Amino acid sequence: MGLRFAVDTGGTFTDLMVSSDEGTLSIHKASTTPKDPVKGVIDALALAAKEAHQPLSDYLARGELLVHGTTHAINAIVTGSTARTAFLTTAGHPDTLVIREGGRMEPFNFTVAYPEPYVPRELTVEIPERIAVDGSIKTALDETETLRILELLKARGVEAIGVCFLWSVVNPVHEQRVGELIEKILPGIPYTLSHKINPSIREYRRAISTCIDASLKPIMGAYMRGLDQRLRDAGFTGRVLVITSQGGVMDAKDAAEAPVNLINSGPSMAPVAAKAYASHGREDTLIVGDTGGTTFDVSLVRKGRIPRTRETWLGQPFRSHMTGMPSVDVKSIGAGGGSIAYVDKGGLLHVGPISAGAMPGPVCYGRGGTRPTVTDAALVLGFIDPEFFLGGKMTLDRKGAVEALKREVADPLHMSVEAAAEAIMTLATEHMVQAIMDITVHQGIDPSEAIFVAGGGAAGLNCVAIGRRLRCRSVVVTEAAAALAASGALISDLSAHYQAMFHTRSDAFDRDGINHVLQTLSDRCTSFSKSAGAHALSSEIDWSCEARYIEQAWEIDVPLAISRFSDEADVKALEHAFHAMHQDKFAVSDPGAPIETVTWNAEIRCRISSGEPGRLRPDKRGLSLPSRSVRFLGSDFLDTPVYRFEAIAEGAVIDGPAMIESDFTSVVIDPGATAQRDKLGNLVIDLGDVE
Amino acid sequence: MTIRDVMDGSTLALLNARMEGIARKMANTLHRTGRSGILTIARDFSCVILTAKHELLATAESLPIHVLRGPDIMARTMAENHKVLRRGDAYLHNSPYHGCTHPADHSILVPVIDDDGIHRFTVLAKAHQADCGNALPTTYMGAAKDVYAEGALIFPAVKIQHDNEHVMDIIRMCQMRIRVPEQWWGDYLATLGAARVGEREMLALGREVGWDRLESYTGQWFDYSERRMIDVIRAMPKGRVTRKSTHDPFPATPDEGVTITATVEVKPDEALIEVDMTDNPDNMENGLNLSEACALSAPMLAIFNSIDHTVPKNEGSFRRIRIHLRDGCIVGRPRHPTSCSAATTNIADRVANPVQAALAELADGLGQAETGALLPPSCGVVSGVHHGKPFVNEVYLGCTGGAGSPTQDGWLTILHAGNAGMCYQDSIEVDELRHPIFVHQRRLIPDSDGAGRFRGALGAYSEFAPVGCDIIVAYISDGNINPAQGTRGGLAGGCSAQYRKKRDGSLEPLPPCAEILIKADERMVSISAGGGGYGSPQERDVERVIRDVREGWVSRARAREVYGVVLSEALELDHAATQQLRLGQASLPKSRL
Repeated sequence: MGLRFAVDTGGTFTDLMVSSDEGTLSIHKASTTPKDPVKGVIDALALAAKEAHQPLSDYLARGELLVHGTTHAINAIVTGSTARTAFLTTAGHPDTLVIREGGRMEPFNFTVAYPEPYVPRELTVEIPERIAVDGSIKTALDETETLRILELLKARGVEAIGVCFLWSVVNPVHEQRVGELIEKILPGIPYTLSHKINPSIREYRRAISTCIDASLKPIMGAYMRGLDQRLRDAGFTGRVLVITSQGGVMDAKDAAEAPVNLINSGPSMAPVAAKAYASHGREDTLIVGDTGGTTFDVSLVRKGRIPRTRETWLGQPFRSHMTGMPSVDVKSIGAGGGSIAYVDKGGLLHVGPISAGAMPGPVCYGRGGTRPTVTDAALVLGFIDPEFFLGGKMTLDRKGAVEALKREVADPLHMSVEAAAEAIMTLATEHMVQAIMDITVHQGIDPSEAIFVAGGGAAGLNCVAIGRRLRCRSVVVTEAAAALAASGALISDLSAHYQAMFHTRSDAFDRDGINHVLQTLSDRCTSFSKSAGAHALSSEIDWSCEARYIEQAWEIDVPLAISRFSDEADVKALEHAFHAMHQDKFAVSDPGAPIETVTWNAEIRCRISSGEPGRLRPDKRGLSLPSRSVRFLGSDFLDTPVYRFEAIAEGAVIDGPAMIESDFTSVVIDPGATAQRDKLGNLVIDLGDVE
Repeated sequence: MTIRDVMDGSTLALLNARMEGIARKMANTLHRTGRSGILTIARDFSCVILTAKHELLATAESLPIHVLRGPDIMARTMAENHKVLRRGDAYLHNSPYHGCTHPADHSILVPVIDDDGIHRFTVLAKAHQADCGNALPTTYMGAAKDVYAEGALIFPAVKIQHDNEHVMDIIRMCQMRIRVPEQWWGDYLATLGAARVGEREMLALGREVGWDRLESYTGQWFDYSERRMIDVIRAMPKGRVTRKSTHDPFPATPDEGVTITATVEVKPDEALIEVDMTDNPDNMENGLNLSEACALSAPMLAIFNSIDHTVPKNEGSFRRIRIHLRDGCIVGRPRHPTSCSAATTNIADRVANPVQAALAELADGLGQAETGALLPPSCGVVSGVHHGKPFVNEVYLGCTGGAGSPTQDGWLTILHAGNAGMCYQDSIEVDELRHPIFVHQRRLIPDSDGAGRFRGALGAYSEFAPVGCDIIVAYISDGNINPAQGTRGGLAGGCSAQYRKKRDGSLEPLPPCAEILIKADERMVSISAGGGGYGSPQERDVERVIRDVREGWVSRARAREVYGVVLSEALELDHAATQQLRLGQASLPKSRL
């Protein structure tokens, strides 16, 4: 087995994790190069080659696989560098992307602009056609008019086209025909048909998926080709895979064909890693927090499954657009090491959502930041060693942090600098806790039955505090927590997600219709496993159905144990599974009531790695570091022993108060908590008695 | 007496995050478990926490007209009518004579009783029903002469759970009166569930933090909120402005409609804003009368729309606002049996709008223009019988109308002033799947903006028809005659309208307040109102005007005539002509349309 690389391009750092021939892991961090992200990827690989004392080309030649998490798609959208895209819509409905689904946040805040449509109205064209709810053709496609419109778009220099017609999910004939006409009139111009990219109801969601996808095709195609070429030029001959929003990986060239799946490439891997490292039983429920410099991302593993959502927003909820695609449910809030603390005119403390970001960053970084942040508070409390930050690669300015905290927070609140620092950590923790509760209540998860898995560079600062506040069973910090997503990418499955809409009721179940749909999905999965998954170790299909009670508006995702309905008992089993899931998520169910199904999902997963999480290379440095004075939440300054994470032996127990430090993160073990290293290298923290 | 525990700004922030988190958890629960489209699609509900003294404490992201005032009166009614409140109790409340907005807003109140039997807080979940048992299949009975003609059952804080068990007599009464009993039952369970979630979380918080400490927190949180409000008002200019806004003529109104007069007075020296609503007509024999809750909330939401949005909305900041009402007034305290069926929308908006526009007149940077009026057929209540089964629900097929504000164009999907855009808009496909209707068109209407430096949102056109049956569309569309006015030189938005589109394609104008039978071969046409503009259109950033024209929102002719921006056919800016036009028009006296 050759080297396997996982490269996750983040906002500040490009994390590389390498799995060696023997299966041991190493982490390398290079700076992200936003103008040319592939350079950051190559830089990180060069760092690893240097550590292996090999020329880059020789080192890369040993590689068999490279998995890439990229923010390139979302960045292209945020910076407006996507293709000039046209939107073809059903006549009479030109404003689907303008009206969206309504909704608003902060009812009294009128300082925020209504979002512009994803495709401007000037490039939105109404096509004479209409399909009805039952699939019948209400107005036939006017091909002459369509041809005229396509010629017009050609003259206007359109670079991509999204086509979304009402009810194309029931009868795609018009979308298909328009696709043929596009190929005829605008050969080579990338286009996306809604029934193919996102066959689900709700025209806005389908239209937005379609238009995002089309608009990304040119830029992501070029990016993937460039990545592939430059890796080859540097000497890599293995397979290049990309992380999808669904928490799987795809061949880079396939991903470029459906780039809407790359919006959440990266964050979707956190729960995959957490599941592999921290889940002991298949039924464990995990809350996964990934704390970076500016954001805190929460995701879940719910009884062994990673929940999906169709409501992934490109920016703030209601103030931007959603992708409409089923994706790993990740909630992101503006809370991280860089969150700024301040006191308002009425004397109230605030932490975030404004952030000092990577530049200038916290005051203690000494890069010109003047407003105190969570990282500055952590430094003052002794959570971070100013001499040993990032393994000693950077020295922090404690004095600057103290002065800023005093001026901006401690003095206005009439408290000591240390008390102010503690207050900042406590409030930042509460914001994270609230973000976790929002996502857990949506999924019907009781945090007290879950394990909190902490990832990201700033994870260790308050993971015990979060775990205690939520009364979680325990807290797990993985050995490679600082690069949680990359560690998930190394063990993730090659996967593809197929869906089809089929509406039927459990009290008048169209078994033949459903079985036909399931067979079609199954065939597509098989075809994927025979092509992309040809060399996989094994493969399996995860089936699920999105269903609801008859009068309900929103569906829930119910796992299916079968891929074919043979008799009435199978239908009953689906009903039963639905009631159980509804009860689980919402604490109510209506067991006598029939249900209706809307969307059917098949996810093919082809295993391309052992699936066993690897271990970091053994560290020969000593266990004990010099002790230091640390003020824990609710304590005075205590002389606290400090241990090197990597050097703690398996099974060894460390009682709080203690600090555990790695080259990438510090973990605060509060008084009363105990940490133990398990056989996967995780730090498993028992929270002790929580009052 | 315990010594008052003085909390610092960090403890307050922390406990506030906990309280808001509980209200949000209630709302999330209600949204995901409700049965009817109006709750789960449109999100027409609110969840709040009140103190034991019935003071509003936390509202999460509720609908402004639902919650600013009213929940306090409802909680007081519960406590006065039931001298002993016990854990396990829940109360159903929809009485507009006792603090509820209007009878369609079924509310569940649960007193939070500590382990010693002391009433500590009240949690309230309020949800608009698809049907509340009115005489006609609509929850907005604009023409109802009185509460008897309305027909809904009225519950002035009636016990609906005892020891956590349903009082089945009440449930059965509702099921006998409400048109879609299963749907109501599902929504009731969701609303009750939300209140119970709030109760459970509050009990846990009280046990963790201590009840006395929580009480101390609420007092200090109110003080903080009041301080923020004082700072804001002290920075405002002193002044008194009277503005009027006229509701279109409806059944039982004077022929010229109902003119609402609001006098707003800002007193920076006293850190007080007063709104006088007493100079208004008496209650009318129709469903437009405001409940006390709406009469108080409408001017207040307009004030909060007009100032720094970070001031918390609770009993503390409310201390700096005085709303003057009188008994028996259309904007006041209604006397039973006055009907308040449509209290949350029509006249309420005619109260909120002049208040925020008056504040704008006091100083640039304050206030807002007027928001488009409600309730056109596109958000009417659609009912009928399809394949032998009755159906009734409110649809949201394009209602827009946001007002221009000091820094932004109107928020497109605002719906109406009291809603603040919190409700969702329907998916055409979901509506066609759920109801026997076919939506021919839904589009925005060019040139229907109230022009301004920041313009109002466009109105929306929608056209829908029944499939395989007849349907009744009930609506109460204000703004046919009286558009949303602009402020500070901004112009009025487009008017609303409604038509029957006959088989031959001809349009038959329909009355503004009606229940209309649309036959299988006919279509309902609905036009919603545009929002008013803020500031003179001549001051609008030229780039914004060009973008509006390019996008088709504003015609080239209108850009020239109203905005003073001259564009070629290729939409290139004629600098010289624009400058000349704008200078010339600026010298003319500005007319307030």
